[in-house]
Amino acid sequence: MKTMNETQLKELEQDLDTIRDQVIADLGERDARYIRRIVRLHRSLEVGGRVLMPFGFIPPVFIAATTALGLSKIIENMEIGHNVMHGQYDWMNDPSLHSQTYEWDTVCTGDSWRRTHNYEHHTYTNIIGKDRDYGYALLRLSDDDKWKPAHSLQFINYVLLSVFFQWGVGLHELESERIRRREISVREKIPFLKDFFRKGGRQAFKDYVFFPLVTFPVAPVVLAGNIGANLIRNLWSSTVIFCGHFTQDAETFSEEECEGESKGHWYLRQLTGSSNFTGGKWMHVLSGHLSYQVEHHIFPDLPAHRYPEISEQVQAVCRKHGIPYNTGTFARQYSTVLKRIIGYSLPDRMRSRLLPEFSSAGAQP
Amino acid sequence: MISVLEKSSTLHWLGRQLFNRDDPAAFFDPLLERINPMWVQQYTPARVTAIYNETADTKTFVLAPAKRWQGFEAGQHVNICIDIDGIRRNRTFSLSSSPIQWRTDGTVTLTIKRLPGGLVTNWMHDHLEPDTVIGLGEAFGDFRVPAPQEPALYIAGGSGITPVLSQLETMAASDYRAPVTLLYFVRTQADVIAAEKLHALAERWPAFTLKVYATSETETPQFLSDLHLDEVPGLPARRCYLCGPKGLMDLANDLLYRRGITEDRIHSTFFSVPAASLDTDTLGGAVHFERSNLDVSSEGDAVLLEIAEAAKLSPRYGCRMGICHQCSCRKTSGTVVNRLTGKASGPGEETIQLCVSVPSGPVSIDI
Repeated sequence: MKTMNETQLKELEQDLDTIRDQVIADLGERDARYIRRIVRLHRSLEVGGRVLMPFGFIPPVFIAATTALGLSKIIENMEIGHNVMHGQYDWMNDPSLHSQTYEWDTVCTGDSWRRTHNYEHHTYTNIIGKDRDYGYALLRLSDDDKWKPAHSLQFINYVLLSVFFQWGVGLHELESERIRRREISVREKIPFLKDFFRKGGRQAFKDYVFFPLVTFPVAPVVLAGNIGANLIRNLWSSTVIFCGHFTQDAETFSEEECEGESKGHWYLRQLTGSSNFTGGKWMHVLSGHLSYQVEHHIFPDLPAHRYPEISEQVQAVCRKHGIPYNTGTFARQYSTVLKRIIGYSLPDRMRSRLLPEFSSAGAQP
Repeated sequence: MISVLEKSSTLHWLGRQLFNRDDPAAFFDPLLERINPMWVQQYTPARVTAIYNETADTKTFVLAPAKRWQGFEAGQHVNICIDIDGIRRNRTFSLSSSPIQWRTDGTVTLTIKRLPGGLVTNWMHDHLEPDTVIGLGEAFGDFRVPAPQEPALYIAGGSGITPVLSQLETMAASDYRAPVTLLYFVRTQADVIAAEKLHALAERWPAFTLKVYATSETETPQFLSDLHLDEVPGLPARRCYLCGPKGLMDLANDLLYRRGITEDRIHSTFFSVPAASLDTDTLGGAVHFERSNLDVSSEGDAVLLEIAEAAKLSPRYGCRMGICHQCSCRKTSGTVVNRLTGKASGPGEETIQLCVSVPSGPVSIDI
């Protein structure tokens, strides 16, 4: 990681705080109108998708209904749920958009997400050993983990994780790798598992039992459409999230270098550990503005639709301090993610021969 | 129609499964609001049907609540919620109309005076227009008409007249025979709220005596004194009702107490002016943790998270630096100052981050 002394870090902190303060001072009607419009769009898509689905025995209708329901889940998870639970709209004082009570349309419970994502991932971003989102304790994505033969199959694991992404995210807090290492017992996880089964059951009941049953004669069509919608959401959200921290130049950190860190150092870590991708307006909305992952990580509780507006200012601060600002087209960023997954599935010597760009990236300070 | 989701327990359970929320009926609000804002389920909608001026700085707002609103008793208050610049503001006001009016034409009134610097009252005066829909909570409060009938004395000051108006109208309509006296203190005669209504009541209701005192029209201010109470016949037998600024209430309590009127026969209802201040001298204050039923006091710029932990509570927290919102919770009353921005919050119910909020005066927190 770029090294900066405490004076420089203090200056970085002040520069970024200035941007943040400007946005906070300007929050109001415009932001409220934006998020309410998105919520309205979500409701329309969900109602539309559910109503059309029973007529899915007509192929074009099936595609329309499945797409509508898939988009509704994507928008609800990415632009509404994820952002609301970060507290981006708490200032509106609207109980329906409140970070601590919001419950989203996916298997992971809001409470579990608030612990593992808002707190652990956003506080300890990319610190190997503390940020369990780095590789989800499933994939080897840096040479901090020693290569084992089992890693050679990790691309299959990655595909499976993407297909069943909502279940993977839902089970993240189980910390199965720590249970396997006997650092914790299953017994400690019983309260978590109860919540997991309650929420997972609720989600499965809704999409795979209730809606097919109430449309009984066409149940297989509705079931297939609902599975399709969940699959679309799983693949897209997994892809977006992998582009956030696992691109070629996204850095990782060690526990030692982050011990007792200042706010300025925390900012620096967020800037260098995250990566953006470019795209049209809808690309950003559908990614919940995680296409502005860098902005999101330095200001997780600013309304996400503000990230494009402050991006220029953040880039200027990065230039001023000589900090890289990691961005590129979606295709480019995602291809480096795939290369990283494949690269680190190989023994180190083979990796440095085949994918030299990953031979020194990652944990090296 | 949608409200059936809240009424039937089976449907409510099903709604929770399908929409992932404890108020499933409100799931459709964003769409319903566009069709007819009176169909919103998250709060009880009330349409503003008319607005008229009482005095230079007081207006009466006539509201028609949605059918599911459960009504009220004379003298009770309601919370209203209004979105101002994207922020939902909750405030409590007394209903100034009688329940009879609500039963006959389905409307209630709020009579609201501009508070100096008051965000909501000023906004309502300047921007609220007929036909707008606002949110209305269920009525609460135990400032109620005496039953059975007995002699009564009302002492009201300024806009403290509002719950009294509701009670007097109700009593007049119910053929209340026991003597009722109102001592109404205003700054000048031009500040009398609902003057017409009060004089009409005095004319048609024989048991009622109206006395209006202007405190600031003479050279020496004329506050409530024994002289005023001497003019009330049969005072010891009367049930007393006080509503007005703190100074008047304290004075009235004191004078009545000295005349041997016991506490259980004096009914007070408060309204206060928010007084937020940013001086570091004013930081700290009495903190009430509602759910734990715990009171502690704090000094200086200690944040609520530390105060709660010092009191052996363990509220949920995360980063402790204002980022992750793990510790966000409801403040039900009082003012807090954000340690990061130095900004003071509003006085009403809202969400705050415990790890960066410093109490400024007494606050109540829902943990």
